[in-house]
Amino acid sequence: MVAASSSSQYLKDPDVQLMLRVKHGDDQAFSELVERYQDRLVSIFANLLGGDSAAAEDLAQEVFLRIYRARNGYQPTAKFSTWVYRIANNLASNSRRTAGRRKEVQLAPADSGPLGMNPQEKVLAEKSALMPARQLDKSELQRIVIQALESLNERQRLAILLHKFEELSYAEIAEVMEISEEAVKSLLARARDNLRNILETYVK
Amino acid sequence: MDHKLSRLTTEQRYELVAYLDGELDEEATARIEKLLAENAVARADVELLAATYELLDGLPRPKASSEFTEKTLATARLAEVKPDITQSPFYRALQQSLPYFGWAAAMIVAGLLGFAATYRWVPQPHDELVHELELIQQLDKYQEVGSIDFLERLASEEPLLNELRGHSRAPATH
Repeated sequence: MVAASSSSQYLKDPDVQLMLRVKHGDDQAFSELVERYQDRLVSIFANLLGGDSAAAEDLAQEVFLRIYRARNGYQPTAKFSTWVYRIANNLASNSRRTAGRRKEVQLAPADSGPLGMNPQEKVLAEKSALMPARQLDKSELQRIVIQALESLNERQRLAILLHKFEELSYAEIAEVMEISEEAVKSLLARARDNLRNILETYVK
Repeated sequence: MDHKLSRLTTEQRYELVAYLDGELDEEATARIEKLLAENAVARADVELLAATYELLDGLPRPKASSEFTEKTLATARLAEVKPDITQSPFYRALQQSLPYFGWAAAMIVAGLLGFAATYRWVPQPHDELVHELELIQQLDKYQEVGSIDFLERLASEEPLLNELRGHSRAPATH
């Protein structure tokens, strides 16, 4: 009874309706879902993977394949987008773990070492070199913002991307990342604090 | 302390961000608005947080390639040709019944352990009889002997012992 009512609250979600059609064998509905989410997923993965578009497309495709494989047992127990981003979050975590195993001797992105400075250090170095502030062109500023984002840890980065670009609420981010709303609040606050520290010089 | 310039606590900083995101309830919103009205540091902080967050609008938003949809559908259909065992009704039924199998196995193991423990450590009435079987079999002889002192005395009587041995080896004559 509870399960039925919790399911029915998501039935108004048009993407849930599409997914239910996929469950009943409608491949056209699946195609529509892919088109609706492909750019969002590729963008999230690309920003998580430091701009690697090919890897981002591979991961985005894997999200859709998982959705397709799970269609027979699909039950609308959450907003469709929440489900999609949760799969994306799991895939991103797995991909990080795999990459971590492959590059055992390499340093984590937050560390610096013989290979050079980490993104945060780079931005801070550039920030001090740029003082007093000079006009930056658009691509220069974009590069600095990318580096600022890369200076965040993976969880902070995902929370920021989901909030900023996918406009997810704290509750939805909590559901996607399988953490509490309080944890999302502190995750986003710390991320925004870090971004402010790095980017404040570039604010007009 | 002068509230106009006092530094913010961690909780207040978290709330400032949640305030910007419209994630605070009425009471917390009123609290933050009061803080902003009174505290110049908080006002500067909130402005900077908002402005730096806006810079993220300049991040690249790469799109999927033009053939992405087609490629994904084709790959999904191809995967369909090679059926995924995890989606088969048998696998799903097996997966659903796994907890029951687990419980059944746990109960069997617990039963076996219980039986083994009982068998090993709880004494049975006939255990003592089995343990003392050898003694019981010789009980008549031991009773005839009477005591250890008698046996020791007998052992020192060598001729008598030899006579008894010879008597027991001699064939019956009648």
